[in-house]
Order: sequence, then structure tokens, then C-alpha cells
Amino acid sequence: MSNQEIYLDYAATSPVDPAVAAAMLDCLQHEFGNASSQHAAGKRARQRVEGARAAVAARVGAAPERLLFTSGATEANNLALQGVLRRQRKPRPHLVTSRIEHKSVLDTARALETEGVEVTYVDAEADGSIDPRRVAAAVRADTALVSIMHVNNETGVIQDVSAIGALCRERGVPFHVDAAQSVGKLPLELASAPIDLCSLTAHKICGPKGVGALYIAPHVVLAAQLHGGEQERGLRAGTLATHQIVGMGKAYELADPLLEAPRLAALRDRLWQELGAIPGVRQNGAPARRAAHVLNVSFPGVDGESLRFALRSVAVSAGSACAADSPEASHVLTGMGLSDTLAGSSLRFSVGRFTTEAEVVRAAATVVGAVSRLRSVAKSAPAWCSGSGF
Amino acid sequence: MEYGNATARYFEALERAGELPNGLPGLVSGEAEDRTLHVWVRFQLQLQGGVIRLARFQVFGCPHAVAAASRVAEWLEGRSESDARALDARAVCSELEVPVEKLGKLLRIEDAVAACWRHLATGNDKGR
Repeated sequence: MSNQEIYLDYAATSPVDPAVAAAMLDCLQHEFGNASSQHAAGKRARQRVEGARAAVAARVGAAPERLLFTSGATEANNLALQGVLRRQRKPRPHLVTSRIEHKSVLDTARALETEGVEVTYVDAEADGSIDPRRVAAAVRADTALVSIMHVNNETGVIQDVSAIGALCRERGVPFHVDAAQSVGKLPLELASAPIDLCSLTAHKICGPKGVGALYIAPHVVLAAQLHGGEQERGLRAGTLATHQIVGMGKAYELADPLLEAPRLAALRDRLWQELGAIPGVRQNGAPARRAAHVLNVSFPGVDGESLRFALRSVAVSAGSACAADSPEASHVLTGMGLSDTLAGSSLRFSVGRFTTEAEVVRAAATVVGAVSRLRSVAKSAPAWCSGSGF
Repeated sequence: MEYGNATARYFEALERAGELPNGLPGLVSGEAEDRTLHVWVRFQLQLQGGVIRLARFQVFGCPHAVAAASRVAEWLEGRSESDARALDARAVCSELEVPVEKLGKLLRIEDAVAACWRHLATGNDKGR
């Protein structure tokens, strides 16, 4: 990244914390053993893995043995959904999820549909929340799993996973939560929460890419998706990536929401203070129930692609980085009722550990200038260009 | 999406963006849009003695559309009406390295200029 570039895309990924990099480098240099081997080198590697597992478990309020390492939250989401649904003996088991989940849940759900699984996609409210009553209405006697994310990756809206989990417990339906965006921003106590499966990742909180975990409550049984070894209780075959896991452990050790979230919220609010002065802009997602790091803003009358191009010195996203190659408008924003044009005129800003107030102010000034310039170029444009009437 | 240097240059060079004053002698204007492609373009030309003295544009669209409108306005100024009628959006696409899937957007620029000629012929300033 150039020195001039301001990075405000922590919800996509984050820079590795130097302490994390140091822990990983130490592991790479000194502990090359296979954590499944019985000799001394293997045992030392195993110790590192279990130390990291304990650190991750401590951060999310779970017993270490309930965590299984994966290659990231995408794999964890796949394992949770496929692992539960493919164990069902019913001919057409039922899955409940929402229209505004991450693609790794939605695409997995669609893949399961081709195998005979019935899926109900619950609509989001205009404020980006999922009403637990809609979930309750969708759950049926043959529902095998409910999957709802904790913090939406595009809007930062916090879903009421306690209420949804409680209703799932009442109905005896396992509940999966994708918590990729919530670790380090919100306290998690998985052992006491009505959550049966929870996907985690490292790279959103200044850890390495390529490693994540799935929390599995004691009573949940999954079908393995990777075969070829007994690693991770036979549920996820493959030699454990010790250095990655050590990096994840260190990242979770550092990611204390009580210490970080207030600072992030102040930066996000400072950004909105500047951007909110632009005529016609709107925040997407209920401000009162949003995680500290995300601000999603629509800039009516400005083409989103042009705005992003004009902001080449500010790293932001149109939506999920995982959908950035798609020319279609954000499914999350259109799912909240925004027109394709308005959704296309929206940007997600996300702050993190190394973001400074000076950067936020400088980025906001760049955005204000770019919006003003692009609007002046389309001064007489018809109403549909502002996202209305189309 | 990747953008070539020429696109970046014309996206930044927006000196011909805007409007010409109402009542300017020889003023014609034309618009085109495609809502499904998220593009709207308006051109205004001042013609004097069969030559385009001034060209101004407004555009809502992607960086390629903005850059192409800017490039076309530059190309039009100083050109005779007969030369200007030969505007070829495909040549602009090629110059700006516009991906083929965006050709539809850029053809709306050609349409907006063509609408200026209809305005000249009919006096209908909507030019559609």
C-alpha cells in the first residue's frame, strides 16, 4: 500500500498486527513439526496449536475443545451448513437463513438446494435487521438448521442472535451464527449463548488470512466435508497450519472489544460527522444497533463505480469484498429495499486498529470533493440517477 | 475493474463538463440514457458557420462513460459539423481501452451527439 493511501476497508481484511507477525515468524522459524506427530517436534507444534486454541476460546467464551480450526470463516460456514444438512435422513430437510447473509452462506445454501434441501430466505427490514419473528415464522417441524450472521459485513448491523437462538432452542433447531465481523467488536460468550455453531476468522482482526475456526456445541454432530486424516476430531482432515493457527491465537488475544470498540466507534462517528454534511447522503443500517467499525453510506446522484475510481487514494468497498467482482448491486442493500441505483451509489467504510483520526478526516475531505465533482458533472441528470423513480 | 491511463486522464480532465449558457447563438443539445446500464449523457454544442465552437457534456455513469464523454467533447470542439457527424464511439472505446461489455454504455454517448443533430434539424431541444 502506498504511503498516500488511506485504508478504510477493515471489514474486508486488516493489516497483520506486528505482534501477530512476530508470533507467526517465531513459529515458522522454530516449530516446523507436524502437530499430529508423536515425536518431540510434533509435540511442540501441538502445544503451540493448543495454546492458540485456548486463546481463541477465551476470546469467544467457549471451551477450547469446542473449536475446530479451518481455513477461514468461508470454510467454517460451509462446514456448518453442509455438515448439518448432509447428516439429515429426511428426504428434503429445511434450512432457514436470510437474504442478507454473506455469500459463503448464500452460495452454500444454493448448492444445498441442488441436493434437495429446501431453503427459506428471510427478508431483512429496511434498517438492515432481521426480525426474529420472521425467523420464527419460517421455522418448520422439518427445519434442520437456522443460519443468521451476527454482524452484517456490509452495514455493520448487529442481529439479535440471542432472541433468534432462544427461539431455535425452543423449537429444538440448531442455530449457526457467522461471527466473522463481530470478534473484537462485540463480546462473545458462546458457551452460555443459545448458539450451536459459530464461524470465526482471523484476518478481520489483524490476524493472518487463511485461518479460521468453527465453534461446535457439545450436542451438535456434523458430517465431515474434508476427508483424509483424523485431524480436528476427524471433521477437518489436513495437516494443521501451525503458524497460521498461532497467528490467529495471538490476534484473538489482542482483540479485546472493551478496549478497541469505543475508539473505533469514535472514528466511525467522526467520519459520519464529516460525510453527513454532504447534501442528500444517508446511512444504511440502523445506527443504534451497529458494530463499531462499519459505516455504509449512500451518495445519491453519484455513480458508485465512478466514486470508487475517484477515491483511488482511499481504500473502501462498494459492499462485500467477496462480491466485488460482481457488477450487480449489493444484495444486502437491495435486500433492505434500496434501488439498484442507490445501492450502486453506496460505499462501505470500515475502520480498524491502525486507523487514525487524521486519516478519517483526510479521507472524508477526499470523498466530499469527489462527490461534489461527480454531482457537478451530472447536474441535470434525471431523478433515477439519484436512486428514485427506478 | 481495471482502467487504462487514457481513461484516468480524461476522467480527471473535466474542463468541458457542464452547461453552455441558455440563449447562446447556435446552441443545440441532445440527451441519451439507458437505465438498465446506469448511464445518462447530455451534450450541448455551439455551432457557428458549420463548425463546433464549444462542446459541453454532462454524464452519470461509470469512469469509462465519464472519460469517454470528456474525450468526445474534446474531439468535437473545432470540428466541422460534417466531420463531427462521423463520430464513432467504437474508436473512442478502443482509445480508452474500454472493455467490450461496456460498449453499450458508450454507444449512448454517440446517441446523445446524434440527438444534437436532430435538435439542429427539428428544433426540438430534447433531441431524443
